[in-house]
Amino acid sequence: MSNQWIGAFGVLALFALLFLRVPVWAALMLVGVVGNTIVGGWTSSFAILGTNAFDTSSAYTLSVIPLFILMGDVASSTRLSADLFNAARVLLSGVRGGLSVAAILASACFGAVCGSSVATAATMTRIALPEMRKAGYDDGLATGSVAAGGSLGILIPPSIILVIYAAIAEQSVPKLFAAALIPGLVLTAIYIAVALVVSHLRPEYAPTVSNVTWRERFDAMRQPWQFLLLFIATIGGIYAGVFSPTEAAAIGAFGAIMLGLLGKRLSWKQLVTAVEGTVITSALLFVIIIAATLFAYFIVQTQLPLLLSSFADSMNLSGLSVMLVIIAAYVIIGCFLEGIGMVLITVPVFLPLVVKFGYDPIWFSIIVVIVVELGLIHPPVGMNLFVIQAQAPDVKLTAIYRGIIPFLIAPFLLLALLIAFPEIALWLPKKLYG
Amino acid sequence: MLRFAEIMKGAQLRLAMLALAVMMMIIVADVTMRYVFGSPIHGAYDIVEVSLLVFVFHGLSACFLARQNIVIDLIDNVVPLGVTRALVRMSDFLTVGLLALMIWAMISPAEQAFEYGDKKLELGLKLWILWTIAIAGLAGTLFCALGALAKPVVTSHGGERM
Repeated sequence: MSNQWIGAFGVLALFALLFLRVPVWAALMLVGVVGNTIVGGWTSSFAILGTNAFDTSSAYTLSVIPLFILMGDVASSTRLSADLFNAARVLLSGVRGGLSVAAILASACFGAVCGSSVATAATMTRIALPEMRKAGYDDGLATGSVAAGGSLGILIPPSIILVIYAAIAEQSVPKLFAAALIPGLVLTAIYIAVALVVSHLRPEYAPTVSNVTWRERFDAMRQPWQFLLLFIATIGGIYAGVFSPTEAAAIGAFGAIMLGLLGKRLSWKQLVTAVEGTVITSALLFVIIIAATLFAYFIVQTQLPLLLSSFADSMNLSGLSVMLVIIAAYVIIGCFLEGIGMVLITVPVFLPLVVKFGYDPIWFSIIVVIVVELGLIHPPVGMNLFVIQAQAPDVKLTAIYRGIIPFLIAPFLLLALLIAFPEIALWLPKKLYG
Repeated sequence: MLRFAEIMKGAQLRLAMLALAVMMMIIVADVTMRYVFGSPIHGAYDIVEVSLLVFVFHGLSACFLARQNIVIDLIDNVVPLGVTRALVRMSDFLTVGLLALMIWAMISPAEQAFEYGDKKLELGLKLWILWTIAIAGLAGTLFCALGALAKPVVTSHGGERM
């Protein structure tokens, strides 16, 4: 049996283990160790296992992960998200569907300091959903807005998934963050358009909330100054070349803590809980990254992407066809695999193929994040939908499923736009970093 | 066993939290020193790497004791509860086996680091010390994974009395 076929069987074995409820890290590590042993021998496989965990866990560039998670956890514990939602709510009062749009806008902004979709969805569920239900909004539209808006958290920088992609695809984090900004804004705009269209077509879903004065609007705009400060200090600092991503993450986490403590929005107990949560979330990610590195080494050794490439050649598939097949595969995989695992398992397999067909790895990172986002919100297993249902148990899951369906158009539309106009993702990194 | 695992987890969790705080503070201090006084902190890069190592290897125990690792639980809906419990147990044993294998695999490079006297570039810190910290963290995680074996299995269908 050729190494390439061993690689293919390795991937199948991995999916079988995942289906059998083996933790993602353990499945990746088991396949990685066994695969590396078959291909390169026990001595080599054992040596890689020993050094890989140490090297990954002491890589300076990866320290950005816990620091951005800490910033997000602290921001979630303060009233930052409430300020954002209130500002958007007041600004959009009088507009049909305004609360829905406010939830999406506030989620997009919160995503800019949080970096996690699930955390954004959970936070906005607590803040925006009660307001929308109080105003008589349809449960489907209300939860759909929160779920869709929450998914923006992993596209709008800082994005933990992009940091992980950068690590395994050996790409620059600042370039990926720059590439994600415009698609993130475009997706926000499409989600808003969907919310407005649904509100227009079904006015009973979104009763108009009473108008406010311009003075009140002006006052509301001043509320989220802390968000602006954090965003400018972190993402602005990266784009301006003042900070490295790790430095920006540390400054952001420190800034969020200080703003919370000095503004009496964060108690010591909440801070300790946030730090504990950061340790657990980060450790979960690191053990998967360690295992995924072993798996990626196995895939590289087997040259599996070459097998896929020769298969595509034998079928006379164009680059576009290959891309569409990959996107379809991601949509299917997203039905049962969570985002980080999906990226770590698939990128080593797909990226060489994508590059071989002439696509830019930075552009592909944005495609990957969008399909991961899609996986977070598409029924039946979108994680954001479950997060909302867990926090609002009186909302029926069927209402949540019904509500998210119109919003599913947005990521597909953005994918089509990115394929037709790759510059949407590539213009800003070229402009900033050449 | 479970009680000792809880104590171990608590101690390691606090150590990881401290490492995170050190990581954040040293970077903030380094950036401040660089931009305000024009002199960055010598060894900041190494301190961040060492803190990250402590953070990761000692942060794992809390996840493993609580069985918080990410799993795909779709099968819970299609097989009887007993099968799900058996699969969870199988994963528990696999986890213990893989952690033990990792520790075993890390001993040889740790010995080599000791033998050759490898050091961190900026601080001159001996690498074998870091390997020892990593192995100790992983040993604590293994202990907590063994502790998880003594815990009841909780699935999306519910729990199990032990």
